[in-house]
Amino acid sequence: MWVPVAGLPPRLKLSALAGAGRFCIWESGASTRKHFPAKNHRGFSDSYPQLLPYPDFNESPSSVSKCRLEPKRYVTSRRLAETVAQILRGKLERPRHLLLECNPGPGILTQALLRTGAKVVALESDRTFIPHLESLRKNLPGSLEVIHCDFFKIDPRGGGLVRPPTMVSHTLFQNLGIEARPWSAGIPLKVIGIFPIKNERRTLWKFLYNLYACTSIYRYGRIELNMFIGEKEYQKLMANKNSNLYDVLSVLWQIACEIKVLHVESLKPIEQKLYFIQMRPRRGLFTENLTPVNYDVFFHMLKHCFGKRSARLIDHLHSLTPVDAKDILMQIQKSEKVKVTHMHPQDFKRLFETIECSKDYAHKWLYDDSMGDTEHPEK
Amino acid sequence: MSALRWGRGAAGLGRVLQSCGRRGLPTEEGTLGVGLGPRRSSSASPHEKDLRKDWGHVELLEVLEARVRQLQAESVSEVTVNKVDVARLPERGGGGGNFQPPRKAQMGAKGAAPQHFGRWAAKLDKEKQTMQKRKQRLEVKLQVRAQRLAQKLPKPLQMEPRLVSGQLADSLRCGAQGTPLEEQLAQALQEAPRKLSLKEEQALADREVEAQLTGQQQTLLAFFECCLLTDHLHLAHHVLVAHHGNPRKQQLLTLAMYNTIMLGWARQGSFKELVYVFIMVKDAGFTPDLLSYAAALQCMGRLDQDARTIQRCLKQMARDRLQLQDLFTVVPLSEEERAALLRAIVKARPTFRPRLRPPPQVNTSTLLREVYAKDGPVSYPKLHLPLKTLQGFFQQQLHMELTASVCVESVEKAVLTKETMHARKTLTNLRVQWEAALHRALQETKASLARQAHEGRPTLYPFLCLLSEHEFVRLLTQTLQALPAQGKSFISVAQELGRRTFSRHMVQKQQLNNQVQALERRYTQYLRLLASDTQVAEPHLPRQYWEALGLPEAPQEKPWPVPVLLQLGRQLAELLVQAVQMPRSPAAPPGSCGLIPVLYHVYSFRSFRQIGILKPHPAFVQLLATAAEPMLTFETVDVPMLCPPRPWTSPHSGAFLLSPTKLMRAVEGTTQHQQLLERCPPAELHGALDTLTQLGNCAWRVNGHVLDLVLELFRDKGCSRLGVPPPPSEAPQPPEGRLPRDTPPARKAELRREMARCLKVAREMHSLRMDALYRLSLAQHLRHRIFWLPHNMDFRGRTYPCPPHFNHLGSDLARALLEFAEGRPLGPHGLDWLKIHLVNLTGLKKHASLRARLAFANEVMEDILDSADQPMAGRKWWMEADEPWQALACCVEIARAVRTPDPATYVSHLPVHQDGSCNGLQHYAALGRDSVGAASVNLMPSDLPQDVYSGVAAQVEAFRRQDAEQGLRVAQALEGFVSRKVVKQTVMTVVYGVTRYGGRLQIERRLRELSDFPQVGGPVASGNLISPPTTGSARGSAPLARLISHTGSAVEWVTPLGIPVIQPYHQEAKFTIRGGIQSITCSKAKDSSQKPNIKKQKNGFPPNFIHSLDSSHMMLTALHCYRKGLTFVSVHDCFWTHAADIAIMNQVCREQFVRLHSQPILQDLSAFLVKRFCSRAGRLRRGAGLPARPCSRPPPSAPSAGNFDLEQVKRSTYFFS
Repeated sequence: MWVPVAGLPPRLKLSALAGAGRFCIWESGASTRKHFPAKNHRGFSDSYPQLLPYPDFNESPSSVSKCRLEPKRYVTSRRLAETVAQILRGKLERPRHLLLECNPGPGILTQALLRTGAKVVALESDRTFIPHLESLRKNLPGSLEVIHCDFFKIDPRGGGLVRPPTMVSHTLFQNLGIEARPWSAGIPLKVIGIFPIKNERRTLWKFLYNLYACTSIYRYGRIELNMFIGEKEYQKLMANKNSNLYDVLSVLWQIACEIKVLHVESLKPIEQKLYFIQMRPRRGLFTENLTPVNYDVFFHMLKHCFGKRSARLIDHLHSLTPVDAKDILMQIQKSEKVKVTHMHPQDFKRLFETIECSKDYAHKWLYDDSMGDTEHPEK
Repeated sequence: MSALRWGRGAAGLGRVLQSCGRRGLPTEEGTLGVGLGPRRSSSASPHEKDLRKDWGHVELLEVLEARVRQLQAESVSEVTVNKVDVARLPERGGGGGNFQPPRKAQMGAKGAAPQHFGRWAAKLDKEKQTMQKRKQRLEVKLQVRAQRLAQKLPKPLQMEPRLVSGQLADSLRCGAQGTPLEEQLAQALQEAPRKLSLKEEQALADREVEAQLTGQQQTLLAFFECCLLTDHLHLAHHVLVAHHGNPRKQQLLTLAMYNTIMLGWARQGSFKELVYVFIMVKDAGFTPDLLSYAAALQCMGRLDQDARTIQRCLKQMARDRLQLQDLFTVVPLSEEERAALLRAIVKARPTFRPRLRPPPQVNTSTLLREVYAKDGPVSYPKLHLPLKTLQGFFQQQLHMELTASVCVESVEKAVLTKETMHARKTLTNLRVQWEAALHRALQETKASLARQAHEGRPTLYPFLCLLSEHEFVRLLTQTLQALPAQGKSFISVAQELGRRTFSRHMVQKQQLNNQVQALERRYTQYLRLLASDTQVAEPHLPRQYWEALGLPEAPQEKPWPVPVLLQLGRQLAELLVQAVQMPRSPAAPPGSCGLIPVLYHVYSFRSFRQIGILKPHPAFVQLLATAAEPMLTFETVDVPMLCPPRPWTSPHSGAFLLSPTKLMRAVEGTTQHQQLLERCPPAELHGALDTLTQLGNCAWRVNGHVLDLVLELFRDKGCSRLGVPPPPSEAPQPPEGRLPRDTPPARKAELRREMARCLKVAREMHSLRMDALYRLSLAQHLRHRIFWLPHNMDFRGRTYPCPPHFNHLGSDLARALLEFAEGRPLGPHGLDWLKIHLVNLTGLKKHASLRARLAFANEVMEDILDSADQPMAGRKWWMEADEPWQALACCVEIARAVRTPDPATYVSHLPVHQDGSCNGLQHYAALGRDSVGAASVNLMPSDLPQDVYSGVAAQVEAFRRQDAEQGLRVAQALEGFVSRKVVKQTVMTVVYGVTRYGGRLQIERRLRELSDFPQVGGPVASGNLISPPTTGSARGSAPLARLISHTGSAVEWVTPLGIPVIQPYHQEAKFTIRGGIQSITCSKAKDSSQKPNIKKQKNGFPPNFIHSLDSSHMMLTALHCYRKGLTFVSVHDCFWTHAADIAIMNQVCREQFVRLHSQPILQDLSAFLVKRFCSRAGRLRRGAGLPARPCSRPPPSAPSAGNFDLEQVKRSTYFFS
């Protein structure tokens, strides 16, 4: 159910997901599902954002529509916002974590979070919402900060001129006064948001590269992500061995983070679920043999293995490493017949570490940097 | 069987499958065999039996036996298995591959049967004496057994066709029962082809555009052709029959394939098989074409058939509306084939005479009239070398090409330590093992592929027979040697292997055909034209002389289609991966530890793509590095020639003596240029052919003095500023040492970045270093020799030297290493030109007049002499020059000249350059007769050289000042930043149709380079700086090109010199070749069968057209200079000659520019495009298949011209300077 809002230029329409009423999706261009009766809108009016349309909408529609290339989801239901805020509040921990909210949009969730007494930094990529968020900030001095920034496009590869809303994490964190914490220390801050609808997979990869390399936001320690994620990607992320969905992404994320489902929200009219998950980097992710120095070899190993997932592991090992494959398999106590999909994520880590520390070989990998996927798939 | 017959009848095909006359296919063997046996034996004529004896297993046997011998050396158990096979095989081979009861019985009676059947035979003997009945039963038993055997072993090759048409099959059967073959052929000929109307067109299209064949068809055709080359005609015939007999596979067959096999039989003079194929052609519904008849007649000629048969054949040919004369003009034939063909025809038509070869045509282009005029002063240059010397050079080059590769000593000198020696020894030992292993693997592969081919599948078997096993192994070991440490993508390895195989095969083929001797005779004759001590009766251009010396060379074999090339390459690469192994630790003695592969097939992941890479084991890389072997191996075609190149006489013959070279260089697999050139009347190309011949005939030598200095630097620490890449030891070293255990991950991440940076720099340095190493090693190798650089051209007619590593087109360093082998005395003005050349090279006096440059040179004479005497220790004046090494070479030359008592007599070898100033714009201005433009690019005489960039910058600055006064903020911010440099690139590219957006980016980049420019304003300011284009032509022509590409064909035109140009920009299409070690996906964007890429066609047209003009100008200048006896070479718009001849070259260059532009170039272009793209006839000529749409409107007429007087160019000093 997508309801066009009156008073907006035809290219830019705010459509609220009134049927479910928990999220709304911004989209430029005409809405697609017109068959939904308009009365639904009224039926769920309590969840409909009250503050729209903004006074400056008609003044600068062009500047808005420029950033509106991809649709975004926002939390618009107060009930959902309350639930999320309660989850995040958790047990009364002291000191409370700083919360980084990505693309708060209308600010429903922001308000709920603030009500729990949290300190929130709102990173909004859409200029349209900023005046409204600013007004929120003025109401609650000291606990909210608003920055025009697209969290999912932070630290672009290839460098070049960085213009807002793209930002460099270094500047952002410095401005916020956040200091880097050692990996073994606690969690420096939590990030709350919704993965970009169209680019969930890419974004997941980007975070993975940054996480294993300890770059970008992960330079500041084990930053915890609390994200809404689509059902499809969620299932891939959490897939277990032997599942069809089990893939490089599942292995890498499951090794890197403890992943917990905090809440499940179903989007009624489109028969989909959104999962609110917590991704907390493991303290023991980096070991002596798996470090930010050689993580790319590990990545390559996994990509190679899942390139032909039905093959036996030993066949892959033959083209990955000169180290004696049988010997390695014996060391990790796997049979020679073990298939790629039979390996638990931690088994892969163990496999990698075993090869890394095999003593008698000067050359442990056939991989070298020139073969590497130095830029993550976003490019 | 009956069900099958019924089914076909029901399908309405009206063709009844004839069960007799057909050899059983695997599936039918069991059911058909028994019943058919007796009939078959009675139907086979004695003649056929004899023939069959030779076929079948003989080849396969040889392979298998060889394999057994191989295995005997290794394992005993395997041999026993194989022995059984072989023991059975000869029997079958001897028995002619027919398991017919009567024969078996005879064998048994004779008691000569080998052991295996002995038991049966003995029993049979005994029974025969006692009971007739039991004997018959036994016969049946024997037969069953034989059939069971036949199922296990490869079947004999199938020769008789399985026909679809009942009528034809009947005639074939009758024929088998005794009708003479001639009758059969006659019947087949008269059999009206069923699908004539439909198939005729298709066959035509197939011939026209081979690219339209599917990958499968290409593979099949290539298989047949290769079988012919490797003497596997029976196998090819077998595969053809197998395909023909299978309704699904038959669709793959084209007339060209039948013709190929027919030609094979014709060459062997096997009439019966030829008739079989002819019947199959009819059966498939094709109409025989010229090639088919040529094959049939050739065969008859060889066999000396009676006139009646030949007459009938000729009659049918006339009915098919084919001209007898065309047989001799259209069909490519060797001399011997031509004779056989003629013999047959003369028998039937005693009065027939083939039309004589037309006399050598003369180019009729008005531009070239003077070049080919017989009267007037002609003084073609000769080489400075006597005939004997040149003949010696030829022998050296011939030897080099016959061995296919050249070993060159590396200039990198390794320190000989104990480890080095040990590593070298290890490598030598390993190589012996590898060669043996590769031999073994190759034989195994061949055996298995041969088996598959016997099952009727077109495999790579004949391709693997093209070269000797030894040659293949050599090729593979060379590839292994050359593999870079970081690996190489599988596809490029495969492509290279395929290409090299082809090239070696071509050389070998000429060797086998005795073409080498013919070439030797002809070349020796040809040298009389060039040698200093011989005279020829009247002046000839090299090409003309070569043509007069004999018949034109037969067109060479076409390069294999890319899928075939890649498949072959993949097969060979696979061999390499599988066979080559080394001990786990190279130091250990052989046999003491397990073997590991040397090569690994790994995948690299780029985004979501997987790229297969062949990667050598790091230990192997290390071993190679330690061994630091002193020899580099080059392919012959990558090395300059040691004798004058073969003159270009046609698009397929010229340059290297034996190795095939393309006249027009293009990406691998592109055929459209070659097709266009082949279609073009030969005389049209004379201008291009003669220019390329002439550029290639310039003799070169190495400037030893410069080489010594460079080598000294190269072996020391290098010098990036002077273009001598430093050795790896100079690369930034990554931080060493093990990190403490508790290093935080973030620190490690930093470390990693640092390491990655070092690695990147090191890798870049390495590739530069290797490039220089190749160049310098080749230079050192050629140091005391004279060599030649054969040339070819790109699709616009721009010329390039073929050898890639060492030529005059490279960097400053590369150019400085070369000088003319022939010297000329400086003459009265030569020294001045040397000095001016030196000043030009320094780039110091760009805006000064020639007189001022000369004066400057005299001023700094002391520095010049110092540079020449103490290049590395003195004041190093030369190092500051724009082109330091060439400047140094020039300093040395000047120093030598001035120290000669009379500088005018000093013999100089140094090439002196004359550079076109903004050559693209010059052509634009001349095309549009634009006075303002002409003045700014030096087409008008002027006292000082004009600089168009400064001019534009000044104009832009004037506009800026106006805007700034009116208070425009951007204009104010730009104050002081509008310089020549900022606008240069944009002005240069505006003529080539750079877009507003592209120009904006360029200016933004330039502005950002200025250190003190306020960075924020850049993007905004650059938008305002774009200068209006100087002429409208570029804009005008682009839409035209778009219009053409919308019609579905690539833009084509003809240069004023007659070279046909077609833009090779097409939409990308991918094809995948499955199977083997990995599937290969590659793009086939480069062929005329693809839809054009409209955007690229449009954007590419203006620059390409201008480049086709500047190449025409260069060619005209080259040809006229040659007529005047000058040495001339060019780097596109930079012309080189001896210092003494600069004045003449300058005059020719200007005259030819005027002559070129006096032609109605744009009108001609317009007329050509109208004719080509807007008329029906023109479109049809392009061949079928392209969705041609008529042009909606005629192309716009040529833009109106300005009032510039072209003649002024002749007096312009700085036009080229």
